[in-house]
Amino acid sequence: MARTGTTFDVGIVDDHPVVIDGVRAWLAEEPSVRVGHTGDTTADLRSHTVDVLIVDLNLNGRLVLSDIGELAAEGRRLVVFSQSTDESLVMDVLDMGVAGFVTKSEGQAHLLHAVRAAAADRPYVPPTTAGVLVSDRNPVAPQLSPQERTSLLWWFQSMSKASVARRMGVSVHTVDMYIKRARVKYAQVGRAAPTKTDMLARAIEDGLVTPAELADSAEWTPSA
Amino acid sequence: MAPLRSDTGAPAGEAVAVRYAHVISVVVVVIVAVWHFGYDSLILVRSWSRYEPAWVALASWLVLSVVQLVGSVLLLRSGLRGRLAPLLSSVALLAGVAAVATYPGGEAIGDISWAANTVGWFGVLLLMQRPMRELVALLACTIAMTTVALGVSGDLDTPVTWSRLIAQSYTTAGIQLAFVLLARELHHAARLTTGAARAQADRMARRAAEEARHVERRRRYRYLRDRIAPLLHDLAEGRAHPGDDTVQRSSAIEATRLRRLFAETEDAAHPLLHELRACADVAERRDVNVTFVCYGELPDVPVAVRRQLTEGPLLALASAKTSARVTVVVTAGEIAVSVVADASASAAPRLVRSAGTSVLFDEKENLLWLESRWPVPGPRSTSASSTTTRW
Repeated sequence: MARTGTTFDVGIVDDHPVVIDGVRAWLAEEPSVRVGHTGDTTADLRSHTVDVLIVDLNLNGRLVLSDIGELAAEGRRLVVFSQSTDESLVMDVLDMGVAGFVTKSEGQAHLLHAVRAAAADRPYVPPTTAGVLVSDRNPVAPQLSPQERTSLLWWFQSMSKASVARRMGVSVHTVDMYIKRARVKYAQVGRAAPTKTDMLARAIEDGLVTPAELADSAEWTPSA
Repeated sequence: MAPLRSDTGAPAGEAVAVRYAHVISVVVVVIVAVWHFGYDSLILVRSWSRYEPAWVALASWLVLSVVQLVGSVLLLRSGLRGRLAPLLSSVALLAGVAAVATYPGGEAIGDISWAANTVGWFGVLLLMQRPMRELVALLACTIAMTTVALGVSGDLDTPVTWSRLIAQSYTTAGIQLAFVLLARELHHAARLTTGAARAQADRMARRAAEEARHVERRRRYRYLRDRIAPLLHDLAEGRAHPGDDTVQRSSAIEATRLRRLFAETEDAAHPLLHELRACADVAERRDVNVTFVCYGELPDVPVAVRRQLTEGPLLALASAKTSARVTVVVTAGEIAVSVVADASASAAPRLVRSAGTSVLFDEKENLLWLESRWPVPGPRSTSASSTTTRW
C-alpha cells in the first residue's frame, strides 16, 4: 500500500454532502491524495479499496461505532472526522485501532495531517485528542513521561507547537516527538488491531521508540 | 423484655416520642401478663371446685390467654391500630361473659370472681391506640357484665351490693381508664416536645443560613465598594474617560469580576466551570470568540481556590481582543486551567501572578497564554493507589 511519497486513495463517508464536498476541496490541496470513494454509509465499503477512510461517527442518525470497530479490525486505516468532542468517544475510537480522531471544529490542517499520517501508519495527534489523552485516568492507561504529558497538555491548551516548544525550551521537532511517542504508547494498550501493530512497527522503524522502550512503558502494571 | 429500639432512622426528637410509646406498651404488656397468668390462675386454681361448670371457666381462661399473647405481640409491633383490636376485644369480652356465667350465685363480686377486671385490662392492652370511645364501651360492658350477674342472682336489692359494685367499678374500670388517659397524655407531651425540638432546630438552621447569606452579601458589597465604586466615581466626575484604553480594560475586568461574583453564589454542578463560563460569557458579549473545552472529572474545589484559579483566566479573557480558548484539564494530580487569547503584549505583565499561575506572551504568534494550576490534595492520590491495587 501507499507508504511514502506516492499518491494514495482516500474514501470519504459522511451523511452530509456538504461535508463530503468540503473535505474533497480540502484534500484537493494535497497533491498525493486521490479521492477514490464517497458515500453516506459504511455498508458498501467491502468492494472499495482505499488507503485511508475518513468517516463520520454519526451516519443518518446512527452512531456507527461498531462498524468502525469492524473496519479497524479488518486493518482499514481510518480517520474519524466527527462533530463530537466527547472524551470517552475519542478514547473508544482510538482503542479500536482508528488512526486518528479529528473534530470538525479543528479543520483542514489537522485533517490533512491526520490523513497523511494515517496513510503512512504514522501517529498524528490533534489538540482535542491530546486533551483527552492527558486527562485519561483509566487504570490501564500507559505511563507517559513528564515531557510527554506536558507536551500533550500544552498542545491542547495553545494549539501551537511552536509556542509549546518555546515554553518548554526545546525544538518544535522535539515537542512533536513527545506527542507522537505518547500516541504510540496508546497504540500498545487495549484491544489488538492490525493498524496499531502497523503504527508500532512504523514507530520503531522511524526511530521514534525502541522495542525496549515499548516494553518498558508496558511495564506500568504493578505486578510487584 | 423487648429492647427499646430508637434507631428508626427518624430524627432524634421523633425517636423520643417513639420510645415513650414503646415503654408504655411494654408496661401494659407486663401488667396484663402478671394479672392474667398470676392473679387469675391463682384464683382459678384455688376456687376450682366452685365454678359451674369448671371447664367453661378454664376454657375462658385459655381463650383469654391466647388473646393476651396475640394482643401483646401485636402491640409491641405497633400492629393494633386497625380493626383487629376491637375484634380481639370482643373475643375477650365474650370469654369474660362465659367466665362470669360460671360463678355461683352472689359471687359476681367476691373471692372467686376474676374475669371482669381481666377483660378491662385486656381493653387497655388492645384498645390503647384506638379511639377512646371503644375502650369506654368495653369498660362499660365489663361493669354491665358484673351488674347483670348480680341481678340474675337477685343480689341487687341491697344497698350494700350497690355500694360494693360502685367501689369495685372505681378500682377496676376507673383505674384502667385513668391509666390510658395518662398514657395518652404522656405520649402527647412527648410529641409536643419533639415538635418543639424540631422547630427549634429548624429555626437555628435558618438563622445560620441567613447569617451565611448576610456575610456573603457583605463580602459582595465590600467588593463593589472597594473595586467598582472608585471606577464609577472617576467616570462620573470626569477624571476617567470612557474612550481611554486603560479605563476600558479596567471596566472589562471589573465587569468580568462582577459576573464571577454572581456566579459564585449560584448553584451549579461544577462551580469552577460555571464561574469560568461566566467569565467567558462577559468576553463573548464584547464579541470575543471564545471556545471552551474541559476534559477530565472535576473534584470539589473550594471557593477560595476557585477564585485563585479563575483570577488569571478572568484577566486574560478581559484582555482578549477577538478570540480566546479556555481549557480545563483534570489529571490525576492537578487541575490546569488555561486561556490563550489574542491580547496585546502590554496586558501580559499586568496579569496577577498568583500561586500556580504562569503567563507567557508569545510575540511571534501574538498570543497571550496563561495557565493556572492547582494540585488536587489528598484523596486523589489514594484513589489512584487503590485503583492500582485492583490490578
